[in-house]
Amino acid sequence: MSKKESGFRNWLRRTFMGAKYEEKKRQEEKNGQPDDSELIVSPARQVFQRFLERRFAVFSVCLVIFMFLVVIIVPKTKFMEKYYDSFTEVTQKDLPPNMSYMSVPAELKNEIKSIDSYGSFSVGLSKSGKVYVWGSTKLGATSLNVADIPQAVKDSKVAFAAAGIDHIVCITEDGRLIGWGSNQFGQYEATEAVLNNPNLTPVPEEIRDGGIDVANVKKLVAGYQATAILMKDGTVYLWGNKQTYTNMDKLASRKNLEDIDFTLNYIVAVDAKRNSIVTGVKNLYSTVRSTIGGAGKKMTQFLNGRKIEAITATSSSVCALLDDGSIALAGDFQNDVIQTPELPEGEFFTEIQGGTYHYTGVTNQGHVYSFGGDHYYQAEAPKKLTTAHDIYAGAFQSYATDENGKLLETWGLKGYLFGTDDQGADIFKRVIAGGGVTMTVGAVAVIIEILIGVTLGLLSGYFGGWVDMLVMRVAEVFSAIPLLPFMLILSSLLSQKNLSQDERLLMIMVILGVLGWPGFCRITRAQILVARESEYVTAAKAMGVKEGRIAFKHILPNVISVILVNITLSFAASMQTETSLSFLGFGVVYPKPSWGNMLTRASNATAAINFWWQWVFTSAILILTTVCINTIGDTLRDVMDPKSSNDK
Amino acid sequence: MVAVFLILTFLLFSLYQLMPGNRAYTDARAEVNSLKNALTPEQREEKFQELYLKYQRQYGTDTDNVLVLYLRWWGIMPFYNGKCSGIFQGNFGFSFDYNLPVVDMIWPFMRNSMLVGAISEFFVLIITIPLGIICATKKGSRFDRGTQLVSLIGFSTPSFIIYIIFIVFFCSILHWFPVSGMKTPGTNYTGWAAVWDTISHVALPVICLVFSSLAGVTRIARASMIDALSLDCVRTARAKGLPEKVVVYSHAWRNALIPMVAIIVGGFFGIVGGAMIMETFFGFKGLGLLFLNATKNSDYDLVMFLQVIYTFLGLFSNLVIDLCYGLVDPRVRISK
Repeated sequence: MSKKESGFRNWLRRTFMGAKYEEKKRQEEKNGQPDDSELIVSPARQVFQRFLERRFAVFSVCLVIFMFLVVIIVPKTKFMEKYYDSFTEVTQKDLPPNMSYMSVPAELKNEIKSIDSYGSFSVGLSKSGKVYVWGSTKLGATSLNVADIPQAVKDSKVAFAAAGIDHIVCITEDGRLIGWGSNQFGQYEATEAVLNNPNLTPVPEEIRDGGIDVANVKKLVAGYQATAILMKDGTVYLWGNKQTYTNMDKLASRKNLEDIDFTLNYIVAVDAKRNSIVTGVKNLYSTVRSTIGGAGKKMTQFLNGRKIEAITATSSSVCALLDDGSIALAGDFQNDVIQTPELPEGEFFTEIQGGTYHYTGVTNQGHVYSFGGDHYYQAEAPKKLTTAHDIYAGAFQSYATDENGKLLETWGLKGYLFGTDDQGADIFKRVIAGGGVTMTVGAVAVIIEILIGVTLGLLSGYFGGWVDMLVMRVAEVFSAIPLLPFMLILSSLLSQKNLSQDERLLMIMVILGVLGWPGFCRITRAQILVARESEYVTAAKAMGVKEGRIAFKHILPNVISVILVNITLSFAASMQTETSLSFLGFGVVYPKPSWGNMLTRASNATAAINFWWQWVFTSAILILTTVCINTIGDTLRDVMDPKSSNDK
Repeated sequence: MVAVFLILTFLLFSLYQLMPGNRAYTDARAEVNSLKNALTPEQREEKFQELYLKYQRQYGTDTDNVLVLYLRWWGIMPFYNGKCSGIFQGNFGFSFDYNLPVVDMIWPFMRNSMLVGAISEFFVLIITIPLGIICATKKGSRFDRGTQLVSLIGFSTPSFIIYIIFIVFFCSILHWFPVSGMKTPGTNYTGWAAVWDTISHVALPVICLVFSSLAGVTRIARASMIDALSLDCVRTARAKGLPEKVVVYSHAWRNALIPMVAIIVGGFFGIVGGAMIMETFFGFKGLGLLFLNATKNSDYDLVMFLQVIYTFLGLFSNLVIDLCYGLVDPRVRISK
């Protein structure tokens, strides 16, 4: 003790024990003999003191409290405000951890010609004709990596580049069409398999043979699993998966198109008349409105003589930019949207780009506005920008550049810290939400265990006789119930009852608690049996204290230390049981997240290795939490046991 | 204990009566449907009611009284036809999935479970007991601390995460073991090849089981050994000048064995009955997987029978533990 202490421990000591203690220690050192009065400390204080000496235990307490706070507070903050359990997003399935979805490469930043994206990665084209790819470039379980740009593209100057869900296509300055990534649906190459598949349209022969007249190309767009090249003379080349885009054949024969884009299921276009959205399907996108959720009008009525300048599409809606700078919207929007902006007098849109759910537009005064789906905050455009000239939107990101192609601002989805699961939901957020569920289940189950176990243990230990007999037999019955089989039957019963998620959760807590109490009961009883014979109880009895008072006021505090240890250990055990049950599909079930059911997919060996991020993080956090809780329990037991003194 | 067993089976039985699925109903419906064209709708309904009653009486489900059903299941109360057909008569039920009486079909599953249980329990013991003794005798050493840390982590890890890690490591990365099943599909080995094939399939489940129970048992072995080493008799033995080896292995170890008995015996029965997660993981044909599938397929006689086995195993292991206490602890023997 008289050794020189580190600053932190000194501080801790002073904070928790006061300067008086320190003063006494100093006095002791001076006098050369210990101050006897200090040696007598209350048991609680001694326990506390000894607990603080275990650094790892103190760290564990801090960590567990921190995790508790995180899972309680974070779901109520802005970070999780858009989280909901059953969220799914097809284009974001199974993505590895990556936070670089908006990290435009430094070389590209000052000379952006175009940026496009559809799924998890973006492709950028610089003014000098170089192609850059960023974001999450490894595609699912396949070995495809779209960041592996083919040498042919690296060597030549590229004029156009576009990204689909899992492929990238480029047109080089010398008129070659080059693609990479998935070619399962003939997105860029007419292989034998593609030519033989009646559901696919292969790359048109004139492009395959003669190349493309680059000077005449107006636009290159990639859809989900299809690609289109629009020429300045109005002809269009379309190829890819016909099953996704059922109107592909109808549009491919058109010769007079002005603009073209892809929604999730349709190809939309504008022809030379510029007075309607051409899809080849009757009445599709024929009703338009000026705001999201506004009253719809027939296209001709809405246009009232105005012409459509350009169109752009999200996965379920189309936005047309009219020649007076106003916009017309057709199709459906999600619930979570940002309304179309009301532009001040004299300001009008010069360009609109669509992502997967949102639109971004730039006005003649250099302001940018975003509207539409906002789940990833992709429609929250920076307000201060005044020099924006071009905007690029794709998937869930938007980029604004000035007239020289210098990147001004990016906004939208940054990426996923822990990746995404097979529903496309952010695992990090689910870990937090699932932690809340798992910890709540564990805590409530333990509370129920304590309530039943300690009360019955007190009764049976204190009164003995037939009460003891009865309680112990009941405890025996309950502890002989095999937990897993029992839960299996119960949950198949519960599934018939159409319980809501919360009721089901409650049932699990109650079952875990009701099956777990015999442990507490036995421990309490054993402690009581010891305590009942002790002198202070005899003294209390002699003084005529009532029995109930003796049990709860005199005996309970003395057994509480053992109970405390068991609370921590059973808390960890309940969490483990819950995760095991949920993992097997009998506890908490999807969509409600729990640390157990988030790992279900890893029971498949192939999925476990291909989508490692889907279980590694969750199980690491689960293990860390239970390790910490068990450490606390172990340390408590050690420090509360007077026999195991500091002889370590 | 018999009372506990009866109460438990009654509880489970009544729970199981709540399960959906009515065999008499489905059978009667199927039979009526098979002769659908021969009858008018009214006749069909009548025929159905008649058959329904017949099947209910045949299966002994023509009453809603759970107690009666329970006693019939035991074979104490007679069925409608006046005969008893229950467990006492050797009728444990009939599995509709396997189309066999449950008693006949359960043995191979039971054998697999027991085999794996015994092997892994053996390995667990030969690893953990020396480890616990070494840690306890060298308490506070670096080795002890390391073991304690590892066992704390292992103890805190749910077993299924250990299985995931092992499968990924051994099957997907190293390709040492096949992922699932009991034999390589499409092969028909005989002799040593068959044995080798079985071993290669059983190896990983056993390794997983061993590892998932290693940590807990080591902790208990260490704790009980530490307790035993601080006993007065150990101090006396040391004072007598006995060699340390004799003190540890003869005096302390015997005392440490007393709390260990519950773990050793309970562990074995636990593995026989409760390796459900492991069996689902590896598609290992044991009792756990059988139970899971039976629940999924609503094969209720089988479910009930397995429940009884589980309950019985649980209680039986308690009995064995009590007996073993008498075996290792002379005090218990004397007081009885």
